[in-house]
Amino acid sequence: MNPSSSPDVLAAFEHVTFTHFDRAAPTLVDVNLSIRRGSFTLLVGPSGSGKSTLCMLLNGIIPHLLGGELSGKVVVDGHDVAGTQVKDLARSVGLLFQDPEWMFATLQVEDEVAFGPENLRQPPEEIARQVTAALDYVGMASLRKNLVWALSGGQIQKLGLAAVLAMQPPLIVLDEPTANLDPATTHAVHELILRLRSEGKTVVLVTKDLDEFMAEADHLILLNEGRVLAQGSPRQIIEQHGLKMLDLGVWLPEPTEIGLQLVHQGKLPVRSVPLTVVEAVEAFGHFRFKDGSENSVPMTGGELLVKAEALEFSYNSRVKALRGVSFEIHQGEIVAIVGQNGAGKSTLSKLLVGLIKPSGGELTLFGKHAHAWKVQALANEVALVFQNPEHQFLCDTVAEELAYSLLAQGIDDSEEVKRRVDEMLARLDIADTAASHPFALSAGAKRRLGVATMLVGGRARLLIVDEPTYGQDRRLTERLMKLINNLRREGITVLMITHDMRLVDAHVERAIVMTDGEKIFDGTPGALFQAPEIVEKASLRPTSLRRLVDALRARGVTVPDGLNTVEAFIEAMA
Amino acid sequence: MSEQTLAYIDNNSVIHRVDALSKLLWVLVVVITTFQFHDSISRGLMLVALLFVAIFVARVPLRAIWKVSPLIFGVAFLLGVFHYFVTKGYTPLFTIGSFTVMRESMEDGAAYFFRLSIMVMASFLLIWTTDIRELMVGLVRLGMPYRFAFVIFMALRFLPVIQKEVDAVRSAHAIRGRAARSQLRHRFRLWQRYLFTVIVNGLRKAESTAIAIESRGFGAYPDRTYVKDFHWTVSGILLVIFFVLFGAALLVWERLL
Repeated sequence: MNPSSSPDVLAAFEHVTFTHFDRAAPTLVDVNLSIRRGSFTLLVGPSGSGKSTLCMLLNGIIPHLLGGELSGKVVVDGHDVAGTQVKDLARSVGLLFQDPEWMFATLQVEDEVAFGPENLRQPPEEIARQVTAALDYVGMASLRKNLVWALSGGQIQKLGLAAVLAMQPPLIVLDEPTANLDPATTHAVHELILRLRSEGKTVVLVTKDLDEFMAEADHLILLNEGRVLAQGSPRQIIEQHGLKMLDLGVWLPEPTEIGLQLVHQGKLPVRSVPLTVVEAVEAFGHFRFKDGSENSVPMTGGELLVKAEALEFSYNSRVKALRGVSFEIHQGEIVAIVGQNGAGKSTLSKLLVGLIKPSGGELTLFGKHAHAWKVQALANEVALVFQNPEHQFLCDTVAEELAYSLLAQGIDDSEEVKRRVDEMLARLDIADTAASHPFALSAGAKRRLGVATMLVGGRARLLIVDEPTYGQDRRLTERLMKLINNLRREGITVLMITHDMRLVDAHVERAIVMTDGEKIFDGTPGALFQAPEIVEKASLRPTSLRRLVDALRARGVTVPDGLNTVEAFIEAMA
Repeated sequence: MSEQTLAYIDNNSVIHRVDALSKLLWVLVVVITTFQFHDSISRGLMLVALLFVAIFVARVPLRAIWKVSPLIFGVAFLLGVFHYFVTKGYTPLFTIGSFTVMRESMEDGAAYFFRLSIMVMASFLLIWTTDIRELMVGLVRLGMPYRFAFVIFMALRFLPVIQKEVDAVRSAHAIRGRAARSQLRHRFRLWQRYLFTVIVNGLRKAESTAIAIESRGFGAYPDRTYVKDFHWTVSGILLVIFFVLFGAALLVWERLL
């Protein structure tokens, strides 16, 4: 039977192949799938596997606004997408983008929610009711008169969702809605999504934070290189394709990763692979753990690079971005700065590279007062990799980009420059793109080039990386972290600004926690996750691995301290 | 986050509460009258009146005005200097060393300075105090097709976006260090790159916005509904009348002089 003709099916893809107009290879290849009414579907796959393309096909952005070659048939809510305009599909599909700031069309929160229904010519009284209902739903009723530009990251996502809900589409598609949010805000958005699901809305979700959804979703679609590798219930997919997913670099919940590794080692039957912390306690409760000791002892005693005392900074007379922050950073450390959006993390990094100067307190950088440094001179000591690496690029090819950094350090012997550029290209695995435009690289390669331009020539002693894992799958993250760890072995001090608690726990020896411009914690990640009041105050969340360890201990299982990664956990299992 | 100087300032002053169309009309009145003036004293008084409205009535922070003053006064000053040299004067006004300042050149230079700075200042006041959505609805109510009215909104919406982008790119470039030997070549290179990066990213963002707006049904029908409709305000009409009278008074005074 033709799947799209069943009344139970809200959306269906039949033999869909799509090639973006500027690409040679297709982004989606012979995709067949169906989304049932009232179902909750997870769309999972490594970076570049075609997830966003699939989402944009559901509401007609592809092929109507972003052109390309489409074959096969996409049917949504009874409309053939290829023959229906985007604005007409707007009644059937609501798409929430990764960065909804760009979808905002007005100045005030309530006007923004009304924008869509107004376009559909609904009566004003009716819209007013829907606006109130949608804002209540996402918990933003009190902010309805606020300016959209003054909202926080979490509020922007919630407003985006309210704007989608007010149009009452039967299908809601969410493309990485929490990619740039702090852990607690991510959790709050997740709860909203789960509420939609429990109220019978049809939801398609792309996310790398699967922890809270694996047990809730009806359907999981695994994409790789544009093909549907598997689809079915999450449990079925994990049992049949879990190891393959790990191999592809898909982020899975840590308990699931542990379970899959144990299956691989023959220590656990595949039926017992847990999807949640609760299931993991059942599955691993009978294991004994070796006695281990805390393996990460913070390195101290290296040369003092940065010393901040009662540091203050304000952008204007009303708001203080930093309020009396004190800390030291020594040579050879790897430190993370964590805390909610707007806590002062970026301000701190700008102070460290000299882009802004302190408005109060003392800041000593590499033995000199911060006010005495010029940005260009400081660039020889400290490097900052921006969240959007494109902002840093200055040249027309990847090789020139690296050469520029060498020239800026006074290395101008052309032989020497060429040798060092080639060496760096090989090290980054981007030698084949030496002649490409930096803007044309893949997201992962751009990130690595961003790090490389900062470090080629070996000038900088302190490397600051803003959100290293943003928009990257597990494999790309591991590659970037390997690069960073190698640099560390060469004596470079690393400071990361991140929301990614897994990254903090696995790679960092020391975490500085910021909230409202103040430092509220400075210590090991292990100690941080054992201080629930700090975790809560800073909008953090322990990793599911930490929660698993706590739950096992609560059950009376003796688990050693310092199990900060999936590997360490498995290692400790007797 | 750095401060936005090219966007709406959330103050809720008397001027903020004036309806958008009256404000637009007011800007037109100010600009048209300024072009009727023959004397730079009138123009100067008009500029003072605008600054008075901005600082004391609209309560625009001085810092915001200071930050855009290169745009308001700097460019106008350059235009003024240019016209000083273009206009041939014959009545000596005063002499500094061997340089004689001519009356006609001085007058012409000043005229251009005031005209441009008044136009830009009035436009900024409109941007700082007006919810663009209201302006859009007002224009639609006057008979403009809504998609066309929206173009104005898009143009204004992108000013702060571009400003944010320029700030981000400038910071990112600053920490790359300097490769060229000469400071001038370095500067030139950076400027080229600002333009490239800002344009590429600006276009990408414009595209995302256009896509997002269309997927929310924008343009689905030739018209749309409005939850908040446009209403003329008494204060708006008074503002326009006051400036018409003020301009007329200055014109009469010029003629009598």
